Amino acid sequence: MKIINFLIVIGKIFINFLKTTGNLAVFLFKSLILGLRPPYYWRQILLQTIQIGYYSLPVVGLTALFTGMAMTLQCYDGFSSFTSEGAIPSVVMIAMTRELGPVLASLMVAGRLGASMTAEIGTMRVTEQIDALSSLSVNPYKYLVFPRILTGTLLMPFLVFIDDVIGILGGYLVGVYHLGFNSANYIHNTFISMSMWDVMSGLIKGAVFGFVICLMGCYQGFSSKGGAEGVGRATTNSVVTSSIVILLLDGILTFVLF
Amino acid sequence: MYVIEVENLTKSFGKNHVLNGVSLKLGKGESYVIIGGSGSGKSVLLKSIIGILTPTSGTVTINGNEMTSLPQKKRDKLMLKCGILFQGGALFDSLTVADNIGFGLVYGCGYSKKQAREVAREKLHDVNLNDDILDKYPSELSGGMKKRVALARAIATNPDIIFFDEPTTGLDPITSGMINELIVKCTKEMGISALSITHDINSLKHISDRVGLLFGGKIIWEGFNKDLWKTDNPYVRQFVTGSLTGPFTDGK
Ligand SMILES: Nc1ncnc2c1ncn2[C@@H]1O[C@H](COP(=O)(O)OP(=O)(O)O)[C@@H](O)[C@H]1O
Ligand SMILES: [Mg+2]
Repeated sequence: MKIINFLIVIGKIFINFLKTTGNLAVFLFKSLILGLRPPYYWRQILLQTIQIGYYSLPVVGLTALFTGMAMTLQCYDGFSSFTSEGAIPSVVMIAMTRELGPVLASLMVAGRLGASMTAEIGTMRVTEQIDALSSLSVNPYKYLVFPRILTGTLLMPFLVFIDDVIGILGGYLVGVYHLGFNSANYIHNTFISMSMWDVMSGLIKGAVFGFVICLMGCYQGFSSKGGAEGVGRATTNSVVTSSIVILLLDGILTFVLF
Repeated sequence: MYVIEVENLTKSFGKNHVLNGVSLKLGKGESYVIIGGSGSGKSVLLKSIIGILTPTSGTVTINGNEMTSLPQKKRDKLMLKCGILFQGGALFDSLTVADNIGFGLVYGCGYSKKQAREVAREKLHDVNLNDDILDKYPSELSGGMKKRVALARAIATNPDIIFFDEPTTGLDPITSGMINELIVKCTKEMGISALSITHDINSLKHISDRVGLLFGGKIIWEGFNKDLWKTDNPYVRQFVTGSLTGPFTDGK
């Protein structure tokens, strides 16, 4: 009896997973098919560019700066016991560009932008503003979803790049002004082992994560039901699922890219 | 000639069968009002008629066009000939009053922003509002003003048909009266056909030519305004008198 119950629960979770994945696929397909057809809502694309690019910069920059600093301090602690402090700049650089840049920037953006996206679209859903769009002959997928997914996917790599730069700069500041590295040496050691691919792979991850954040943000917003409480739940769902998917995909992408 | 013909419309959400075969006809210039309890599916009926929700089965014909078989482009055109006043107003929070009213004109009819603004000014006067609110955001307006701005948006494209979803719910009696006046003005002066939903008896008295009572997913009573107060149909009687005993509350 117990085993049967257990199997039922597993089955339910599995079916739910398939259902959500299916719905998500349909949602994405609709948005792309409709979005790629004219007319294009340039104003929406511009507004989203400002939202995603500009307003996300402070949080992303701040986390990058402190992560770079902390990372350098931690490395120093460990590396100095092997007297290999010289490797610190390149370790920080590789960690920032390949992993921490894309993942941290994306998690921050999921929390900031993904959440506000779901809250905004969710509120529009429960207050019938999305229905009002259709009734004024504007397709909500074209007007709301496509511009967000497009700009999110295209702009996230820029944010990741900025994250990389600021993170490495944070490391440099701690290294030179706190740990007493020679400035020229530190810079030299940072770039000596840097390859184009380190940076590129991080930017590719960024694009994928940006896509995930905006797709989830819009999907959860669209599926909100039942007033303020429902929007709150959708917002939590949006942030939690996109964070989990980001970490999951990070593992997979790291396998694929290296 | 009917502007709207609904034939055996059903709509289910999974196992929740909200509409079980609704048929109704709206004549030109007529004001038809659907009444019914909360959650009886009035909004779902309205949204299924205009195609925001896809009916499970049945047909809807608007101005002679069968909706489900209509290509998207034509349907968009037709939508601009239908104005909708949503239950909560559904004004776009992120846009000003002018942009809200002009939305359909700019995106659907190819007006420039400037032209749309002039129309918005005109429509604001039509709903007895001052045009100094053109640049305000919906959050800066009172409930009654929002409803009227929403009405202005609904009539901005000069529609032939307007749908009103609970136009007076949540408003004080005086503002309700004003909204009722405006609805009557739309139907009687501008010759617009109207399909409305209400459970405000006072509003019902003023704005309806014909009335249908929605219960159990069907229109179980239909008649003219004057019949409404005389019928001995127990459902209608209970609804109109607001009595606590009757078929609505039996078995609950
Ligand atoms: N988009 C939807 N998805 C699932 N169920 C819905 C949806 N819209 C409405 N319903 C259900 O349909 C029923 C009727 O709702 P509605 O038409 O809003 O009632 P009202 O008569 O008060 O306007 C309710 O039980 C509601 O839960
Ligand atoms: Mg309703």
